[in-house]
Amino acid sequence: MKIRAIELSNIRHFAGRRASLSGIGDGITVLSEPNEFGKSTFFDALHALFFEKHRSSKAPVKALQPYAGGAPEVTVEVDLPDGRFQISKRWLSRAMARVSDANGRIVALDDEAEAWIAQLLGAGLAGPSGLLWVRQGLMGLEPEGRSAEDNRERERGLAARRDLMSSVAGEIDMMTGGRRMDGVLDRANAALTRLATTTGKPKAGGEWARAVDEAAALAAQEQGLRAKMLQLGDGLRRRSEVMRSQAALAHPQAVVARDTAVADARAAHQSALAHVEKRQAAARDLTLADLTLDAASKDITRLDRLSERVRVAAEAQKAASDKASLAHSRAEELAAKDRSATEIAAAATGVSRGFRLRLAVAQKAQLASSARQRAGELARLLARALELQQQLQADHALGGLLKITPQAIASAEKSQNLFDRLTAQSEAQAVLLQFSYSGDARAISSARVVDDTPQRLQEATEFSLPGIGRLRIDPGIARGGDIGTSIAEATAALAKHLAACDAADLPEARRHLANAQRLDGALQQTALLLADVAPDGVDALRQAHVTALAEAGDADGPAEDAATLEVMVTAAERTEAEQVAIAKTAHALAVAAGEHRAQTEADQKSAHRTAIEAADEAGDLAILAQGLADLRAALPELAQRAAEAAALSARLKAEAPDLETAAARLARASTASDQARREADALREELASLNTRIELLAEQGIEETLDEIIGTRSAAEARAGRYETEVQALSRLRRALEDARAKARDAYFGPVMRELEPLLAILHPGAALLIDDQSLLPVALTRDGQPEALDILSGGTREQLAILTRLAFARLFARGGQTVPVILDDALVHSDDDRIEAMFTALHRVAKDQQILVLTCRQRAFAALGGERAKVVVTQA
Amino acid sequence: MSFRFLHTSDLHLGKAFGGYPEAIRNRLREARHGSIARLAQAARQGGAATVLLAGDTFDAETPAPETLRHALSAMADEADITWLMMPGNHDSLAATELWRKIAADGPTNLRPVLSTEPLALAPNAYMLPAPCTQRRPGRDLTEAMDTATPEAAIRIGLGHGAITDFSGEEGVAGIIPPDRAARSGLDYLGLGDWHGRMQVNLSTWYSGTPECDGFKHALTPGALLVTLDGPGAVPQVSVAETGALVWIATNLDLLPGDDVLARLQDSLPAPQGRRDQLIRLAATGRLALAERAAFEVELARIAPDFGWFASDLASLAVDAHPDDLDLIDRAGALRQAAEALMAEASDQSLAQSARDVAASALSRLYAYAQEERP
Repeated sequence: MKIRAIELSNIRHFAGRRASLSGIGDGITVLSEPNEFGKSTFFDALHALFFEKHRSSKAPVKALQPYAGGAPEVTVEVDLPDGRFQISKRWLSRAMARVSDANGRIVALDDEAEAWIAQLLGAGLAGPSGLLWVRQGLMGLEPEGRSAEDNRERERGLAARRDLMSSVAGEIDMMTGGRRMDGVLDRANAALTRLATTTGKPKAGGEWARAVDEAAALAAQEQGLRAKMLQLGDGLRRRSEVMRSQAALAHPQAVVARDTAVADARAAHQSALAHVEKRQAAARDLTLADLTLDAASKDITRLDRLSERVRVAAEAQKAASDKASLAHSRAEELAAKDRSATEIAAAATGVSRGFRLRLAVAQKAQLASSARQRAGELARLLARALELQQQLQADHALGGLLKITPQAIASAEKSQNLFDRLTAQSEAQAVLLQFSYSGDARAISSARVVDDTPQRLQEATEFSLPGIGRLRIDPGIARGGDIGTSIAEATAALAKHLAACDAADLPEARRHLANAQRLDGALQQTALLLADVAPDGVDALRQAHVTALAEAGDADGPAEDAATLEVMVTAAERTEAEQVAIAKTAHALAVAAGEHRAQTEADQKSAHRTAIEAADEAGDLAILAQGLADLRAALPELAQRAAEAAALSARLKAEAPDLETAAARLARASTASDQARREADALREELASLNTRIELLAEQGIEETLDEIIGTRSAAEARAGRYETEVQALSRLRRALEDARAKARDAYFGPVMRELEPLLAILHPGAALLIDDQSLLPVALTRDGQPEALDILSGGTREQLAILTRLAFARLFARGGQTVPVILDDALVHSDDDRIEAMFTALHRVAKDQQILVLTCRQRAFAALGGERAKVVVTQA
Repeated sequence: MSFRFLHTSDLHLGKAFGGYPEAIRNRLREARHGSIARLAQAARQGGAATVLLAGDTFDAETPAPETLRHALSAMADEADITWLMMPGNHDSLAATELWRKIAADGPTNLRPVLSTEPLALAPNAYMLPAPCTQRRPGRDLTEAMDTATPEAAIRIGLGHGAITDFSGEEGVAGIIPPDRAARSGLDYLGLGDWHGRMQVNLSTWYSGTPECDGFKHALTPGALLVTLDGPGAVPQVSVAETGALVWIATNLDLLPGDDVLARLQDSLPAPQGRRDQLIRLAATGRLALAERAAFEVELARIAPDFGWFASDLASLAVDAHPDDLDLIDRAGALRQAAEALMAEASDQSLAQSARDVAASALSRLYAYAQEERP
């Protein structure tokens, strides 16, 4: 259906008049008029025509009636597939409804006309704020009021949408499962919520959590009981060990064995101690016997020795007396020999001394002669040395005058070269002057006659020319001045260097240098000669000469031959030595004999004293002999007793038990016995402690409780496992249901979303709209991944989305073969410039195959919309 | 000349049964304690005055004081019965505190058997015991049964442990040879440790526990009434039932189309006495969604009838078909969710756990969808 013209008669401020809107095109048609023109009146009149029965007197109808009253009437021309039709309705007075064709032929009247209109609207052309129409100021997709009319319009819109969606995609309940799906999901969610959290964990207070908690608590309890079980088991095992140990300790055989061991050890120890005492007694007896025997032996020895001493002393006394007598005679004899030998030796000494004196005189004379010869030689050497010394001093003096070095010569030569070069240069620059005389007159310069030889003038020179006057020749200050200065400087330098060489010119200087070098060589040679003549110096040579002269002394007459005298001295000295040795031997023998005599005399006295002492000690010799005989008779018996004692001691030693071993054995046995007693005490105490502990634990029935806990824990874990399985199943069911419903919803809303998406992309690229499956309208806009509920968006955005949604539904109508006009009454009032441009583009996109009637008061803003422009023509009725 | 006695073992008094809910747990423990009186009654009815306890009278080496005290008191109450209590592996001689207390507090009609010394049960009957020294002794304790007894006396062995048939090589250490009775000239060898009743040979028996403690052994629990007419005579053995609670493990293999409820009813005991029954039902096979839902509802309904009831449906697969999914929804999101879960449940490339989760989720979806009828 497309609206082509609308005519209002006697409606609101068109009272008594007829307002016609014609020229409505296929696409966009804009009626742009200022406020209060009556655009909304056209909108309301159209709504009444399509949705209010001609017999109605409801508020929407009455609202059309002018203040002056009368019957409002509306006529609309529409194009349908069957052709153009005119639909008219009049209300309140002579109400009627009529449908006529293009030829004016009435197609239907009144109720039939209403049925014709209803059939036309069967596609769901909902009211002015419904599916396709946008009333002035409406920003949402549905009426927001709570009035009955608003409710009716909402219901009509929903029904229309459902019809429309069903026509293209089926019933939503069929698709999404509808209420049953909700119920099943609610049941699954409720069951799941009772058991699990949203993350799939056991929910606190739920059966699953209780089972898990119970299992955990029981596991902890089980762990504690197991620990106690271990304690009990350990206690029981330990008690068995303790009791076994107690039994072993208390076993009669063990007790007897321990006691026997102690008794045996003690007896062995006592026996060992007794043996030790026996050994000590035997040792004492042995010592006594040995001492007795030894004393007897010593007494015999002493008495024997005493007898011997008496005898020996007597004999010694006699022998000493004899020896003293003999020694006295010998001493007298040797004393005489001593005196004789001494006299002979003294004579030989006198002879020897005489020869030695003569030899000394001869040797002294020989030494003086030798000294004289050496003094002569030294005198010659000293003279030569002095000569050389004088020459050396002279050369040194000359050398001091000839202090010249090769460097000084080189400097002088350099200065000479410079001087020569400058002089040559000066001469080359000098004026060459030569007089040629023909007469006698001669030129005079500096009071000297100038001859006719060429001469060079290097400085201004004045000549006196007799008869002529004076001639001054100046070779030029500038040239001559510089050279002259340089020559003067060179001359000064040369003079300085020559003075250093102590020479008038360079050849002399060179000669000086040669002389100096020759003199230096002579000095070295003279020094070498002097060193050869007087190695230790001239003074030492002189001193040696003086000494030699002193040694030479005063030689007086010829001397004896020293060699002969030496032979004679040697022979005399040998004789003297022999005689002296003989005299010494004789003297020594005499002394020794004297000493021997004294010794024998002393021995004689000593032997006499000894004999007296021995006699005093021995006393009565008869008694002494008797005592000695008695002792010798008792000695065998004493020896026998000592041997017996030694044999007993040896036997006891051989038979002696090891006392330390016996003591150790006794200590071990006693310790073992004590240890057993202490161990028995400790075991008794431990057993008492174990009994208490075991009884305490056993009284708790741990094992039974543990078995029960294990069972209940296993049951709790199994129950928790079942709940987990249940949660898995419910979760899987919920996911399956939600997936299925999401797919169904996508399938259901696919057509409208396909229409809506390109339009939405014009305003919000990349955005998406979520459509509620109850209202079948968008409820949220998702931009950049963030969903936003429509009711929190700005009024302009909401209005734009509402229009785009209507356009999308309108295109669905079109695809279903029913073209339904979209009417916008002062829409887009909240849109900014950019958005309104985008909306115009969206409208044009749809307008290719969709009639859109735009009523607006914003003439300038909607000038950019384009499309057809319609006009209202008002005439008198 | 004949001698008659009651042979039992493995009372496991004080066993905790912690894996069971508290209510049945207490009943299970009480039933074990009650077995003392029932054994005494069985002995009395069988004409025996002696009860041989072949080990594991107590479940733990250190039972709770009340467990021990109640047991000793119960035995004391049966004053006409002589109890010969031998240590087993659970209450071995290593449990010194236990045996010390029994020796100290036990009644006069209770004789702890703590050594291998032959014990005169009657003028002509001797018992040759082999008490467990440790939980795992590691040797054949019954070798002690070779010990001589007076000429022409009845020799009764009492041991505790496992046996082997010696089909392989030599006997394994710690294992009782099955021909121990013949080897040691025993007229009867009463054994404990195996909780089910079992005859090893003519003269060797495991009595089993007088009160079941699990689903392992299907036999009715009881004790053995043994009559020995004289040395060399074949023992006459009869069973005296002593169990208070009945343990039943049942398997139910189901397929789509089965009358699930009828099958379930058939697999369970009659409604009478269910309070004293413990049931463990394992369902295998597969069921359609609706059948499984109905099965689960029925299981939940009947469970409280029993003393304890547990069902294991882990091996019962969901066999979902499009028709079954129609019961969820014919189209739309619910149907799509159901199809996704069904595909996942039957996707062999996924782990079994993932398939199980998907199947369980599908079952939930079915149940919820039935509650949310259109």
